[in-house]
Amino acid sequence: MAMISYKCVTSCSRRILSGLLNLDAVRTNNIKCLHVNMKRPCVATLQSRYTCCALRHDQFHPVDYVRCSGKDRFYCDLRSIRDDTTAHNEDIAGSPAMSLSADPQNADLRRKIPQAFNIDVLVALLRQENAVDVCVIKVPKSLKYTDYFVVVSGSSRRHLIAMAEYAVKVYKALKTDADPHVIIEGKDAEDWMCIDFGHTVVHFMLPETREVYELEKLWTLRSFDEQLSSIPPETLPKDFIYDDEATDWRSGFGDLGGQERL
Amino acid sequence: MALLTRLGLGLSESLRVMPHKAFSVSAAAPAIYKMTRVRVVDNSSLGNTPYHRAPRVIHVYNKSGVGKVGTRVLLAIKGQKKKALVVGHKMPGERMTPRFDSNNVVLIEENGNPTGTRIKVPLPSLLRRMDGEYSKVLAIALKFV
Repeated sequence: MAMISYKCVTSCSRRILSGLLNLDAVRTNNIKCLHVNMKRPCVATLQSRYTCCALRHDQFHPVDYVRCSGKDRFYCDLRSIRDDTTAHNEDIAGSPAMSLSADPQNADLRRKIPQAFNIDVLVALLRQENAVDVCVIKVPKSLKYTDYFVVVSGSSRRHLIAMAEYAVKVYKALKTDADPHVIIEGKDAEDWMCIDFGHTVVHFMLPETREVYELEKLWTLRSFDEQLSSIPPETLPKDFIYDDEATDWRSGFGDLGGQERL
Repeated sequence: MALLTRLGLGLSESLRVMPHKAFSVSAAAPAIYKMTRVRVVDNSSLGNTPYHRAPRVIHVYNKSGVGKVGTRVLLAIKGQKKKALVVGHKMPGERMTPRFDSNNVVLIEENGNPTGTRIKVPLPSLLRRMDGEYSKVLAIALKFV
């Protein structure tokens, strides 16, 4: 059983991430496991695939990390639920650097199956870049915006840019020709950068900016958000002109649809 | 707004009820361009504190000078200049795109960060597909239309 180690990932070079994405490192057994207590309830648990709370002062975040068994192909097997008893505190001793498996069978698979740039890859690379307070929120499909909303903090503007550029780099390496290109929005801003990958949206902010906007609260609580309720209800001014829809061509002449005009 | 017809009053009756206007209402014009009065829809203090003049567009950052959804404009608000993003206008656009009852605008800083922190008014979801940096504004929005 192999799980991605927090320590190992951060000490990896970028070159090795490509190995990570090629899934071989996952299959080797020389990786330490990091177990995080998963029983803690999360505010953003809409589906227990991949949720974590942005608890600002916590070192680790409760993440529903899935176990990757030796036989599984993909980096994070999203079907299997972590088994507490077997994976807890499992310490597989091995070389600190992740080595690509020399298994010929794995090499074949590596060539045949390209990894898609999904949320797991994104979170892995964010962790590798020492991202602070990674918060992944699963957005319901009814909003018709995106599948995952990720908010990440960085230590400085340079850090944010580095994370964003690395994410785009990995995306470009993994994307097919059908996938659109992706730009970093807000590159000239100093505290907030953002990338829209289609199925995910990632926001890179400085901690101060994050506290001002409180995006996690908005996207988990939606209409029950505090900042929204503190907006005073709007009242029209006394001299507000109401439109007469029947004469307003822009509304299509109201319900009559222009028949009256004819 | 269609509130008038809903309340059952005709236009002539409303003129009797409400005070005489000091300004004239111009004819329909292309969506948003210079001197358009706009409605700021975020919760920024600059956009919401009352002032004796409504916020007006003084420049549209666009070749044509006509602002549609997603155009950056320059507003004169409370005696100062502020950039803003158009998020809805009264002018009908393409079929199957939303038309709003007011010309809505979200205040923006120079670097593209929104000035306010929440937007209660529905935003058009086609902002996402457009070229430009709109994800920050979409991130603070509550409702998409």
